[in-house]
Amino acid sequence: MFSKKMVMIVGVIAMMAVNIILLSVFNRRYISYYRPGRIAVSVIAPFQKASSKSIRFLRDIWYHYFFLVHVAEENDTLKKTLDKSFEKNIRYKEIQLSNSRLRSLLDFKKTMTDPVLSAEVIGTDPSPWFKTVLIDKGKEDGVRRGMAVVVPKGIAGQITEVSSHYSKVLLIIDPNSAVDALVQNDRSRGIIKGDAAGALIFKYVLRKHDISVGDIVVSSGLDGVFPKGLVLGQVSDVFKPKAGIFQEVTVRPYVDFEKLEEVLVVLNRKKPIEPSK
Amino acid sequence: MKHFLNIFIGLFLIVIQTTVMPHIPIFERFYDLLTPLVLYLSIFRPVRETTVIIFIFGFLMDNISGGPFGLYLTVYFWLFLSVRWAITFLHVGDSFLLPFVVAVGVLMENLIFIGADAMFEQNLQISQIMINTVVVQVLWAIFTGPFFLMLFNYSHRRWDRWTKKIFAQKS
Repeated sequence: MFSKKMVMIVGVIAMMAVNIILLSVFNRRYISYYRPGRIAVSVIAPFQKASSKSIRFLRDIWYHYFFLVHVAEENDTLKKTLDKSFEKNIRYKEIQLSNSRLRSLLDFKKTMTDPVLSAEVIGTDPSPWFKTVLIDKGKEDGVRRGMAVVVPKGIAGQITEVSSHYSKVLLIIDPNSAVDALVQNDRSRGIIKGDAAGALIFKYVLRKHDISVGDIVVSSGLDGVFPKGLVLGQVSDVFKPKAGIFQEVTVRPYVDFEKLEEVLVVLNRKKPIEPSK
Repeated sequence: MKHFLNIFIGLFLIVIQTTVMPHIPIFERFYDLLTPLVLYLSIFRPVRETTVIIFIFGFLMDNISGGPFGLYLTVYFWLFLSVRWAITFLHVGDSFLLPFVVAVGVLMENLIFIGADAMFEQNLQISQIMINTVVVQVLWAIFTGPFFLMLFNYSHRRWDRWTKKIFAQKS
């Protein structure tokens, strides 16, 4: 009744349809690991950890023993000091601004004294289309889905999936990431989203706000994930289209995501999202 | 026994891809190293052997990647089907065609990624960076893909010889 070619074409189309439906169903970007998934990560992560440690070990030997020992060490120390000073500077500016507006409800002290857990990045996303990293701390270390991940220079991302000893972090430069943010000087609000170019797009900022290149963008804390006042980046481009109520703002992140090695997971935030069962 | 070799190669490639290559700037936009493995298995190895590996590594990659679950399974499955279909009328194992087989495979993988992104992301715009990424990956595939296929072929031949020798000694 039907030719073999016809049956094949119908079969391929049916398979494509089933595949697309299954992809939509299993699009569990924000669903925590189910058991086989945890096993899969547990299989690959120890190898990644061993490989990352070996690379760091070899690189450290190269930099610290074969290549200008003292200069490299001094440079490391200076970089750490600079990072700390930078973070302090931003934090002080935030506190100063909030004090001047007499916003006593802002509990900066509490926000900044949230306990943190240090973790090492052990692997990056295998695809250039997605921006995630694996870290070597998991559920048994107290990490939960939805927790913020920061570095001294600002926000790095958010825990999206957790297994026993490892977690996946969705970086803020991933197009699927969103952080509620505001411009430090004039407090105009918007949402920071990642884009394919590795920059950040500051979306939904009203045209009436006067934002200029160089302004610092910090987290607003209103998303309930990221602590308030952590730096996200610096405005690198502002475009006000003739029509529309929003302006287009591009932000250059302070964090160098290519060189992300150690991160801090902010524990005990108010409501980390409970993993689905 | 054959699966052990394929699993070892696959794991090795994933670890290299996710831990070593990100530290080397020239490989910033290198293609997925499992693509040539899937293509090699689809062209030269039995269907059963290939499907097992596709399932295992598709599942592993889906769990370590930030993409929607099933994306890598989808990519590897369609690569496998396309190659099996192509070998019915094309001699893709020919050394002249090998660079293009890997390049087409990499292109297909990227198109599926972009398609999936378009499906789940509203207002997706094809940027210059996306196009550059695809072009760079395809060029890498043309020049390095055949070497991977030859390396896999060599490893399988050595493995076959080695296992035959061991079983012959035992019997």
